[in-house]
Amino acid sequence: MILEEISQLLQKGKAKDVKLLVQEALDQNIAPQAILNDGLIKGMSVIGGKFKNNEVFVPELLVAARAMNFGLEILRPALVLAGNKSLGKALICTVMGDLHDIGKNLVKMMLEGSGIEVLDLGVDVNPETIINHINSEQPDLLCLSALLTTTMMNQKIIIDAITQSGLRDKVKILIGGAPVTDNYAREIGADGYAPDAASAAEMALAMLGAK
Amino acid sequence: MFRDIHDYKPDIDQAFKANHDLYEAAWKKQTGNISFRVLPPSDVSFYQEIDLTSFTFPQDIERYAATLIDKLDQSYMARRTIDDNCLPAVFPILGIGDYSAFVAGDIIFKPDTSWGQHVLKDIDDWRNLPPLGTSKWYQLFLDISEALIILSKKQGIPYMRGFFSPLDLAHALRGEDIYYDFYDEPEKLHELLNYCADATIHFAESIYALVRKHYHDTPYGTWYTRNQINMSEDIACMISADTYREFCRPHTQRVINHFGSGYMHCHSRAMYLVKEICDLDNVVHLWLATDPNQPRPMDHIEMLQAASNGAVIAIDCDSFSEIETHYASLKKGNFSLCLPVASIEEGEDMVQRFKRLND
Repeated sequence: MILEEISQLLQKGKAKDVKLLVQEALDQNIAPQAILNDGLIKGMSVIGGKFKNNEVFVPELLVAARAMNFGLEILRPALVLAGNKSLGKALICTVMGDLHDIGKNLVKMMLEGSGIEVLDLGVDVNPETIINHINSEQPDLLCLSALLTTTMMNQKIIIDAITQSGLRDKVKILIGGAPVTDNYAREIGADGYAPDAASAAEMALAMLGAK
Repeated sequence: MFRDIHDYKPDIDQAFKANHDLYEAAWKKQTGNISFRVLPPSDVSFYQEIDLTSFTFPQDIERYAATLIDKLDQSYMARRTIDDNCLPAVFPILGIGDYSAFVAGDIIFKPDTSWGQHVLKDIDDWRNLPPLGTSKWYQLFLDISEALIILSKKQGIPYMRGFFSPLDLAHALRGEDIYYDFYDEPEKLHELLNYCADATIHFAESIYALVRKHYHDTPYGTWYTRNQINMSEDIACMISADTYREFCRPHTQRVINHFGSGYMHCHSRAMYLVKEICDLDNVVHLWLATDPNQPRPMDHIEMLQAASNGAVIAIDCDSFSEIETHYASLKKGNFSLCLPVASIEEGEDMVQRFKRLND
């Protein structure tokens, strides 16, 4: 019951209430993994689906993701104690020449809401920075966002640079952004494309599972 | 340098009259009008030929104005034989940054665009901004505009300028935090949007005064700036129709009311907002740009016509055949159609085909 309440409050973006209820659930000795899966992730999954279907929009998704993070703040130590591991690690950024970050931020939140650890490299990120972080962080997944038709070309430049540096088989690459298509993803050698943040999380989980 | 406007558009009087009549009809909510233009590569290729990082302002205002006018001249000359509804005009191209930097902050130039700065860390910070009209880019933009107008007015080229809506401006100044403001600070968000409406009116009035000062004795110079405002509602794509109605409508409406009529712009991502925007009082035009990976306006003509409230809906087409296919539906509303073409010759041909279809 309390887990369903956490899910519902998360969907409404009630961050402080989510935080309190997560603590209450822990106090009731509910397993941290259950709180994560059946409360927080379930709530994010519902809101993500509604976002995908244009039933809710960016503000609603953002406040829900913030509520998720409030809940995770309380839950994280318990998850560590319980030996819970993230489902994988992702690097995410908006590619060089592009300063738009709302799409990237939404994907980041949905990935985190799906149990994936995410390192956000920010916007206007060049291939060298990405390659350095692939070496140092050893992520399972790289997510490249681009909003403009002029900057989507830089997704290819980055993938080519990763290939030339010998790291292409070390990381799965997921691309997205308003002008990007599935065909384009295949053309430039990405492993996947997602049309929206919720789909990105689904795709990321599938890609990590396939690794 | 520009040539005389008749060199670009021999039948300019007819083209202006056609546009004027279209919007008069929209104002009166009389439907059944279709306007048509083609988009040859030369209409847009010059944007990439202007490297915005090669200018330093204000030192390079004159060189910038001459460079831009040279590119526009080439573009208009290339399409001089195309007898569509496209009207030659002069307009500053400085990227996105100047659409908010006139309030505060600097412009970060990139070769093909620019960015403004998110100067409002807290939602109340607009109260601490310099008074409207005193920022660096407010005056610089007017100076750049005046340089362009001085080089254009003798040839009769009208000056054109669009603006951010209050929400677009607030987003540019505030950044992504504005999405939280809808939930966390609704009253303060209204205050910010109200300020952004004031800022837009202030800036537009300054620009219009400049245009009137120079163009008072030309036939078309004030055509674009008479009793109207041209505004984008791009950020509205990110919010629901209910949120738009609650937060955006009052402030966008106030700007429109100040000037008389609204020429609006948003994207096909926001097809669900067409009715909201066209239901604003005195909106006579909505340019609905087609987004990749989103529904195409051309596939939703009946819905657009029903939602338009008589306003002209400007949309893109993929082919002439789809204009023919949807012609009966298009005639039920007011539409302005834009068809990309591969060459000037194809453009000439398409215009003639449209005239045969529409006459």
